[in-house]
Amino acid sequence: MRTAVFHETFASEERLWDSPTARRWMLAFALSLFTLPWWGSDYLLAMACIVGIHVIATLGLNLTTGNAGLISLSHGAFLGVGCYTVAWLGKHGVPFWLTLPAAGFVTAALGLVVGLPSLRVKGLYLAIATLAAHFILTFVFREWESVTGGVPGTSIPRANLFGFEFHGDRRNFYLIFVCAFVMAVAARNLARTHIGRAFVAVRDRDFSAEILGVNLLRTKLLAFALGAFYAGVAGGLLGYFYGAITPEYFVLTLSVFYLAAIIVGGLGTVLGSVLGALFMTFVPELLRLVAHTSSQWFPGVAALLLPMGQVVFGVLIIFFLIFEPQGLAAIWSRIRRNFHLWPFKT
Amino acid sequence: MTDSIRRTIVQSIGAAATLGPFAIGSASAQAHKGDIVIGASQPITGVFSFAGTAMNNGLNDYVAWRNSKGGVAGHKLRYVSEDSGFKLDQGVAIFKKIMAAEKPSFFYGDSTQWAKAVSQDAIASNAIMTSSTSLASVVADPAGMPQHIVPGATYPRLHEILMEYIARSSRGAAAKPNIAYVYADTEFGRDGIPGGKARAEKLGLPIVAEIVTKQSGIDVAPEVAKLRRAKPDIVIFQGYILAPMPEFVRQLREAGLNPQIMGTAWGLDKPAYDALGALGVKLSGVSMYRYGHETESSMINNMRQYLATARPEVKNISPFYISSWLSGMIFAEVAERCVKANKPLTLPNMKAALESMKEWDTGGITGLLADLSGHQIPVGRMYAYDSDKKTMEPASGWIKV
Repeated sequence: MRTAVFHETFASEERLWDSPTARRWMLAFALSLFTLPWWGSDYLLAMACIVGIHVIATLGLNLTTGNAGLISLSHGAFLGVGCYTVAWLGKHGVPFWLTLPAAGFVTAALGLVVGLPSLRVKGLYLAIATLAAHFILTFVFREWESVTGGVPGTSIPRANLFGFEFHGDRRNFYLIFVCAFVMAVAARNLARTHIGRAFVAVRDRDFSAEILGVNLLRTKLLAFALGAFYAGVAGGLLGYFYGAITPEYFVLTLSVFYLAAIIVGGLGTVLGSVLGALFMTFVPELLRLVAHTSSQWFPGVAALLLPMGQVVFGVLIIFFLIFEPQGLAAIWSRIRRNFHLWPFKT
Repeated sequence: MTDSIRRTIVQSIGAAATLGPFAIGSASAQAHKGDIVIGASQPITGVFSFAGTAMNNGLNDYVAWRNSKGGVAGHKLRYVSEDSGFKLDQGVAIFKKIMAAEKPSFFYGDSTQWAKAVSQDAIASNAIMTSSTSLASVVADPAGMPQHIVPGATYPRLHEILMEYIARSSRGAAAKPNIAYVYADTEFGRDGIPGGKARAEKLGLPIVAEIVTKQSGIDVAPEVAKLRRAKPDIVIFQGYILAPMPEFVRQLREAGLNPQIMGTAWGLDKPAYDALGALGVKLSGVSMYRYGHETESSMINNMRQYLATARPEVKNISPFYISSWLSGMIFAEVAERCVKANKPLTLPNMKAALESMKEWDTGGITGLLADLSGHQIPVGRMYAYDSDKKTMEPASGWIKV
């Protein structure tokens, strides 16, 4: 049993991972991820890349919706903005180390515009306003052919860092992994700054936050811009990962996917974003695997189980909403607490 | 025998003795070993499942049928498929998984965006050819996507064929028919329109209205009002499998219009012609394949016989089934040409084999010999609904563009 963590300095208290055990686990996790391309299968690696991209996008939405309480249904379209920015700049010879941040900043600028209605409306009304932004952006993706390639889509030149080309999943994985790690740490740190605390204050009661001195205009727009920045970078990485993209990818269900990920994972936490993205990506995959494997012993079962997978997935989400509204992050915290206090009950 | 001739013969025998074993070794190294694997990520669930199930069955059944006939040049075909749910992430992950685990030589995917997304990996592997249900012009690109095969005519070609037919059938008439386009705001809907319009302009056919709609959830009334003003003789629908065609037709009738209703490819499947037939409308349009009930095609007869024993519950052979069966045939033919030429199944060899298929017999699935040198089969035929037989029947000969 771990009795407590004693902090003797402020620096010690401010650490992201405040105990030696937490640091060791984090190190082991980072190492296992870092070595994944050496021992993981091609399939696992491809899935890891996809999860990494989803983690970054989910982190962004969690900042906007989880931390600041501003519902956004245009997150999927923000990914598209990042993706097309990377594609267009890449085709014009802009180096990769500029295109990826540019994707973030262009999307953040757009996030500021989309976030403007949040100054006047909130809740369902804001959701509808961002929904309108989604449709406007997807319309632009389809129609602005000179930039986006229109409905047939566009190709994205490979990322190239000073002659080192990120081709294949093994190289792309490191790019995605580093970005995801840096952005997760940044999000975690942001939550501890005055900006993060202002987000929470606005989420809990914006009038009170304003009375306390929080600038609502700046805070709400910043929440949208930051969330969009994350989505833009995720979109850029998505483009580099696939090498080609069509507007069909950035449909409304993608925004719903991220919304479900933060709810299932846990609103307002970095861990929730990671677990939510993992859940939303791997659970359908796992259900598909079960159906596929069982069909080897019971031919014909796959035809029944495969459609059922979607039902089971939906039921699982409902289950979480009812029995664990604080998401997977809360379950994870309980498990950790149990280990801390073992053999005593919490 | 002179000394020089004797010397030449001795040198030749020596060279043959020295290089022979290497040549044999090289030849045997080139030959494909083991099964020829066809991978697939099929949309068995999701919004496209109605087609995905048929596509999966079509490719699976072709492999089984072909193996029952001895396989491909002594090699068995093996089909490995998984459900993509019509999601790009899932489809790409399945591609990578099957590529790593099964080393397939051919892969069948579910969409244009899938074909584009796996393109770089497929080309980099240098060992695979891909095909999909997509008829988009962007994937029929032998230079940019050398690994990809379109199992039919692309949408622009289908619309060009349609315009050719309209022009030919209206020859001698007092006035050219007025044509209206109604299409979905998707790639399936939009891809063929510029090609069709360009051919119409060339043939002097007036396009009097062009209506773009969402894929679903459409309020038809305002669009019908536009058509009412345009008074078209022909309305061409593109990008829909069924809805909103019946509602359009019903409201057009109520508005006093009775234009010919036309479509292409997947929009001419049983759900569409049955629903419009019930409204008393004779749907017509360009199909790139013969229909499953036709008896002129030996290969479609094979499908029917195979289905009668393997899937007796299947009463209608859908074009999706025929399309993926045809993709299987193309894969097998490419493999056979490579194996018979003793060449390994590398992308350059398979591409060369594909492009050598300039007069290839599809077993009557397409009425003309297929020219695959452009990585597509640019032929089609006009079909029209027969209200007595309740099927689509040929209304023209085969047209190549």
